[in-house]
Amino acid sequence: MKKIRTILINEIVTVISRPSFWLTALGLPLLASLVFGVVGRINQSSTGSQAIGQILTGPVEPHPEGYVDLAGLIDELPSSTPAGSLLPFPDEAAARQALAEGKIAAFYIVPKDYLQKGQVLYIRPDFTPLASAGDQSGLFLFALHVNLLGGDWKLANLVQGPLEVQDVSLAPPEQNRPVEYNSAAFWLPYGVTLLFYFLIMGSSSLLLSNVSKEKENRVMETLLTAVSPLQLLTGKILGLGIVGLGQTILWLGTGYALMNLSGRTFNLPIDLHLPFSLVVWGILFFLLGYAVYASLMAGLGALAPNLREASQVTMVIMIPLIIPLFFASSVFTMEPNSTIPVVLSLFPLSAPVAMMARLAAGISPWWHVPLSALLLALTAVFTVRAVAGMFRAQALLSGQGIKVKTYLRALMGKS
Amino acid sequence: MKKTWLIFLQEYRKHVFSRRFLLVLLVVPLMLVAMTGLVYMIISMNNNTLPIGYVDQAGILADPLPGPLVIAPEKPTEMRLFADEKSARVALEAGEVQLYYVIPADYLTTGKLQVVHISQIKEFPRLHFYDFLAVNLLRQAHASVTTRILSGDEIIVQSADGSRQVSSRNGWINIFFPVIAALGFVVAMFTAGGYLMQAVVDEKENRTMEVLLTSVSPNQFMAGKILADTAVGLTQIGTWLVIILIGVQMVKPSFEFLQGLEVSPQLLLLCLVILLPTFVMVAAFMALVGATVSEAREGQQMTGLLSLPIWIPYMLIGLLIQNPNSPLAVTLSLLPLTSSLTMLIRQGVTILPTWQIALSASIVVASAIGTIWLAGRAFRLGMLRYGKRLAWRELFAQDGGAR
Repeated sequence: MKKIRTILINEIVTVISRPSFWLTALGLPLLASLVFGVVGRINQSSTGSQAIGQILTGPVEPHPEGYVDLAGLIDELPSSTPAGSLLPFPDEAAARQALAEGKIAAFYIVPKDYLQKGQVLYIRPDFTPLASAGDQSGLFLFALHVNLLGGDWKLANLVQGPLEVQDVSLAPPEQNRPVEYNSAAFWLPYGVTLLFYFLIMGSSSLLLSNVSKEKENRVMETLLTAVSPLQLLTGKILGLGIVGLGQTILWLGTGYALMNLSGRTFNLPIDLHLPFSLVVWGILFFLLGYAVYASLMAGLGALAPNLREASQVTMVIMIPLIIPLFFASSVFTMEPNSTIPVVLSLFPLSAPVAMMARLAAGISPWWHVPLSALLLALTAVFTVRAVAGMFRAQALLSGQGIKVKTYLRALMGKS
Repeated sequence: MKKTWLIFLQEYRKHVFSRRFLLVLLVVPLMLVAMTGLVYMIISMNNNTLPIGYVDQAGILADPLPGPLVIAPEKPTEMRLFADEKSARVALEAGEVQLYYVIPADYLTTGKLQVVHISQIKEFPRLHFYDFLAVNLLRQAHASVTTRILSGDEIIVQSADGSRQVSSRNGWINIFFPVIAALGFVVAMFTAGGYLMQAVVDEKENRTMEVLLTSVSPNQFMAGKILADTAVGLTQIGTWLVIILIGVQMVKPSFEFLQGLEVSPQLLLLCLVILLPTFVMVAAFMALVGATVSEAREGQQMTGLLSLPIWIPYMLIGLLIQNPNSPLAVTLSLLPLTSSLTMLIRQGVTILPTWQIALSASIVVASAIGTIWLAGRAFRLGMLRYGKRLAWRELFAQDGGAR
């Protein structure tokens, strides 16, 4: 126990005394605050934000657009069209001349066979098919449709869908989630998933570089004469875990403080607050997930001759964590209790990320959570033990190359 | 020349015939396939084949016409009429319908309706109901008008001089294809550059360099390596392109949007005058890093710094597509590291002025030459130096750092 503590303290002290640690730990929030400060200042002065807008988007001058109606469909523009925004031209030549003189920004041509083919030509001098500003094609097409329907603009509107839908949900209140697209409901699971991925990956890769470095410079040999492999591994996992957690808390804390200072808040609805249970489960899943991945990475560090050769195996180890990320923005948000999320959240290697996404999106049945935690805990015990088995002199001292196969065999206890 | 060739061959073979290279080569197309599958799956998840119920108090849907046909992966939805809300609700609670709509008597004037559901509403059934509603709203109109409004319009955007044109139906692929190609290019660039750095550092670390330099000159050594790793990168891109093009040809008939795909001569020109010099510049920069650092790990940090500006246009892609001629876009297309992606993104959505292409190309070529010169210098100064990093100050010193 005493030896574990010595290793733990040593790891923490080594990392903390490194300048690069403080550079990332403090530099990132500092940089963020700088950006926030500048952006906040610019937002306060409207001329400043206008200047920035000009640089980002270029000058925007609202211009009328013209149209040439070769099919003879447009009798009259609907009354909702802003006056002077769409100008008629008798033929293409006239429209082109107006375009050249800068009287209009662009023009439409409705060909004779429009009713059969449905094609409308839209002539723009700068091309820019996806321009954000100045494009009035929606307005023009609406005007066209209204004229097709004999001037009935109400009907033309209704054809595009109801104007207002009253939503009545008979679902039990706890499962009742907004039906229309809701940014908070979308971002919360996604954000939680990403956060957990980076947390676990970041802190467990600390362990990989640490072990492989000590192996490379042969400090390991000396260490193993005094402590047992299990003690060494436990001490390292705990020590670097504390550092990783501390760094995250520092980041989140400064992020939160900055948000408050700059007078901005997340654009989240008021009724959306993190439930206490989510935080508790979050900490538990982080700790267990970290234990699993950190020990896997440490095992890799013990086997690989140097960091570069380890990278291929790192990919394989990280795949289960990455897979939930692919689904985070879609399946987990829309259907957190369908087959794929359930499987991913129960499978121990993807559980830390996947279960958090489900928890954030709304989970049922409740017993999936403790079950997944239990499975994850068992996996953690297994991996820590298996990896301690890898910390043998033979593996640690050899300069052999590393392959995915060797790694998996070593993990199963066959070398 | 012969020695350069030998080094080239050795380096090229070493990488191209390794298992890792094959893996990277296969992973990208596989990822594309997986992503397509994922997208297809997500789209299919928006289906719900249970019938939709409706209560029509406005008399629009009495004796209804069927809704328009749907195309896979969408699945058709049956529409079921209920006499009153009560019976519809019973059916909903019994799980016979997925949801039901109530169309009030004043729908035609207010445009308001009500939807009642238990599980979440899926996108496709909702749109199918709206289409069904639209068909029946339009039943008084002439058949050709109905078809026209329901099947939507195709806007063909054309530049004033008629040289460029893109259709809203299937032309978008031509905007995104260059972007995707550029992404593949950046990945290949970093793979190749990474090999180069590794090659220099490795041979330095295991002291092969000392032996090698007894028989070849530093310039021959460097030229061979840079050429070989550029060739490795080009092999990678070439293979990806071939795989993707074959794949596109195979699935073209079933995807309408792919039929508009065409590669313009301007795109090829941009690849030649901007992408290729950028490639060489990155490779030379990697060699420079490899020659200045003493350990591979240090080099990786420097690479990270370099990749940041290259990705900036990708992060700003939305802005660049919407405003391809803003001062920001023009500036990014002139800076040597950001120009490659920016130019390719802009190429799809605007007419690039000739002076911008020419200026951007000359800037990037000049920077590439400058980087090669620096790399050669760094290599001569740092090739036999172990354990000590080459300082930037020495690199630019007048006397070549000889002290």
